Amino acid sequence: MAIYSFYIFDRHTECIYSKRWLQQPQSSSKQARPTSASTTASVEMPARKALSAADDAKLIFGTVFSLRNIVKKLGGEDDAFLSYRTGDYKLHYYETPTRMKFVMLTDTKTNNLRVVLHQIWANLYVEFVVKNPLSPVEHPGGIGVANELFEMGLESFVSSVLVS
Amino acid sequence: MAIIKDRLVVFALLVINKAGGLIYNREFHSGLNKMSSNDYLILAGTFHGVHAITKSLSPLPRTQSANGTSASAPSPFVNRPTGLEVLESAHFRLQCFQTVTGTKFLLFTEPQQPNVDNVMKRIYELYSDYVMKNPFYTVEMPIRCEKFDRSLDAFVKVKS
Repeated sequence: MAIYSFYIFDRHTECIYSKRWLQQPQSSSKQARPTSASTTASVEMPARKALSAADDAKLIFGTVFSLRNIVKKLGGEDDAFLSYRTGDYKLHYYETPTRMKFVMLTDTKTNNLRVVLHQIWANLYVEFVVKNPLSPVEHPGGIGVANELFEMGLESFVSSVLVS
Repeated sequence: MAIIKDRLVVFALLVINKAGGLIYNREFHSGLNKMSSNDYLILAGTFHGVHAITKSLSPLPRTQSANGTSASAPSPFVNRPTGLEVLESAHFRLQCFQTVTGTKFLLFTEPQQPNVDNVMKRIYELYSDYVMKNPFYTVEMPIRCEKFDRSLDAFVKVKS
């Protein structure tokens, strides 16, 4: 199991926190590949590189927002969008009653992380961000979210999840 | 094996052409909310866009993900990122299969439905047999083939 990235969106559709656990590109795998396939890969690379982290967050929000609406339309108001999977990654989704959206991207073999996202909200976000007297009520631009306790808690929590 | 052949609950099948238009729409079991045909068209268009975005969102560099594939011949399709394949919600599961020509098959099933891949494969076979081989069918246009309808019915109803 590997976790690629994690995003929090507030109810104003803004990305207030994002974190990426960068995968180290394996240099050995590049050599092992047939030459014909690596040429197609190099052709596709530039298109992907053009996206910045902020663009990624916006795209993820748009995707999650549309899929959530589709799910609500098809399954009724009490239905909940849980996750989707592509050939490369899996996106897990959790929405709090206050319309905050927690999104995590992992590898495709991971089981549903809704519980994990719920715990991040309940044990880390609420404890260290909401209950922080110095942090504002809303977080425009992510002010007050990325404090030291939250970052540390998230880091240790994610590593404990990765081990199990 | 009797265990594998458990009952199949397929809520609906949608076929979306490569331009994002809905060309086939069929409900088998009730379970999903009733939607107007206009809503289905919107859903198809939205899904088409979302599918394209999920394709570009891959957090991995392209060189890594193809390790598992054991293609014998170099193909331009092997290393291509795939878009959304399975969507899970509390009430249903959406399986999406995209053919190499860009047609998308959307299958709505129960959340814990096993062997959806096989069902999808069989539906694709029916599509190639009764739609693509139908001389009166124009590609990318709405599918109105009675034989396709009947064989789909037979396949889905028999298994459920």
